[in-house]
Amino acid sequence: MSEKFEDHQIRDKIQIDYKYTMGGQSKFFIELMKNKKLHGTKCAKCGKIWMPPRKHCSECYTPAEWVEMPHTGTIEVSTIVWYGAAEFIKNVPYGCGFIKLDGADNSLFQGIFSENLVPSKIKKGRRVRAVFKKSDEREGKMTDFFFVPEDEYETWANKPEFEGGE
Amino acid sequence: MHKKIAIIGIGITPFKARYLDKTYFELAYDATKLALEDANKNGAEITHKNLQSTVYGIYNELFERQFMPDIFINSYLGMNNKPGTRIATGGATGGYTVRMAYAEVASGISDLCLCLGVEKCNDCYDEQTGTTTPEVLNAIAYSADMTYEYPMGMMAASSYVTMVNAHFEEFGNPTEEQMALVSVKNHGNAMNNPKAQSPMKITVEDVMNSRIICYPFKMLDCCLYSEASAALILANEEKVKELKVENPIWITGVGAANTDCFIGNREDMGRLYSNIYAAKAAYKMADLDYDKIKDQIDCAELHDAFSGQEVISYEELGFVPFGEGGKWIESGGPFIDGEMPCCPCGGLIGCGHAVGATGIMSTGEAALQLRGDAGKHQLKTIEKGRAISHSIGGPGAAYAAVIIMTNEEGLKKP
Ligand SMILES: [Zn+2]
Repeated sequence: MSEKFEDHQIRDKIQIDYKYTMGGQSKFFIELMKNKKLHGTKCAKCGKIWMPPRKHCSECYTPAEWVEMPHTGTIEVSTIVWYGAAEFIKNVPYGCGFIKLDGADNSLFQGIFSENLVPSKIKKGRRVRAVFKKSDEREGKMTDFFFVPEDEYETWANKPEFEGGE
Repeated sequence: MHKKIAIIGIGITPFKARYLDKTYFELAYDATKLALEDANKNGAEITHKNLQSTVYGIYNELFERQFMPDIFINSYLGMNNKPGTRIATGGATGGYTVRMAYAEVASGISDLCLCLGVEKCNDCYDEQTGTTTPEVLNAIAYSADMTYEYPMGMMAASSYVTMVNAHFEEFGNPTEEQMALVSVKNHGNAMNNPKAQSPMKITVEDVMNSRIICYPFKMLDCCLYSEASAALILANEEKVKELKVENPIWITGVGAANTDCFIGNREDMGRLYSNIYAAKAAYKMADLDYDKIKDQIDCAELHDAFSGQEVISYEELGFVPFGEGGKWIESGGPFIDGEMPCCPCGGLIGCGHAVGATGIMSTGEAALQLRGDAGKHQLKTIEKGRAISHSIGGPGAAYAAVIIMTNEEGLKKP
């Protein structure tokens, strides 16, 4: 004789707090937070510029040196997100994609904001410029800045909650 | 010559949105029992006590609400005091687990190995929406680089879609309609797979009209997360003879590669390089030819987490030249009655994606096709006696594994 199955579900949670060190990459986040500067690193041997920065070139196994990068770049590829993780669902729709800063060898993943968020506005080849949170809002995290199409830069930089990068 | 290692038992549980009546270790038990029964149906007379080791494929601790879930499965399966090793390589966990189980048997440290994948994601629950998916996606999102990419909203879909978009920028395809064809094909194939979660007879228009998830992926372009377990029993040649197994399916090639997990570091963002390197390694080991592979195999179970990514995979696995994947699906090539069927079981889009179990399910499904035991979705003809299973996953699809299988007939073919 088979017994009728009755399910039992419990509420539970896994949560951990961190005070995480950025280690050798700390300078990138300090410069971002304090001076609105974007620092990559340049391999002393092969000259490759790493962005996000690495203390060492993964190709040459030699130290890489800090270099300040411009705030302007080109969209390599992008998307607009309409649904996602609970953490981000409050932000949809949002644009994001890979931006090659002028002079960099690789691309950085970042938010791409626009007053008119349609695929054509943030497609490959579009020029973008970094906009920052106000200094008292910056925490030394990637969320301290984002990119906007160059022709919207003034609009975004003049919003009360943001500022341009000078 | 590589050691001959065979799949002698295959067990796959139904892929379902939610099992309220089973925990992850209970699901793992079901798949193991099915695999043992399958081996015994094929002439072996074994129980779990004959299995010498286990390789576990389990992706996400947060799904299982348990770190080191493998050791709890090990206990439940009665596998105490034997070696058990866990593999976790994102969406490619299944394929990588098959590769490591192969390595375990080929090395001689185990003659009879259980290759077991399981995942149970939908215990994650988002109180805000009263649904599971946003919290499942939360648990997955931590797979992105936590410093540079996660905070910007990098997720599975937004990561895969950028590669598909980059491919489109370069080649002008896959178009949204070509991607939709993958969804039509795989949901349709799942109609004949009683274990599939999402069997659907749909049209390109249905896919195009489904809600946008991540431009240009729409709801029906994306697989659903699933709960399931899949198990294979692997044996070396001597054991196959000793157990008098009928119909062993030989693993003749295993290839894997991890490409740069930062998409922005790649030379070409519109390529899944992990696929290319994994496929070439597997084909080389199996003495197959990257440029002629489509003529050397009967079918492929591909990792179609997203429709557009299946189209790109046709190119990277060498089925068609770069830029021609879109055209190939338009021509019907990968359909069940086409030139070289892809995902006859329905793939992830049709079956669902139970991450650690998925690649083991697809390897098992490809092996069942070669045995002629796939049931209602059995291909009409198996001529070459060879099949591929393909797994990909991780940030920017950085992990990939490709498995080549061959039946007894296939071994004799050039
Ligand atoms: Zn270097």
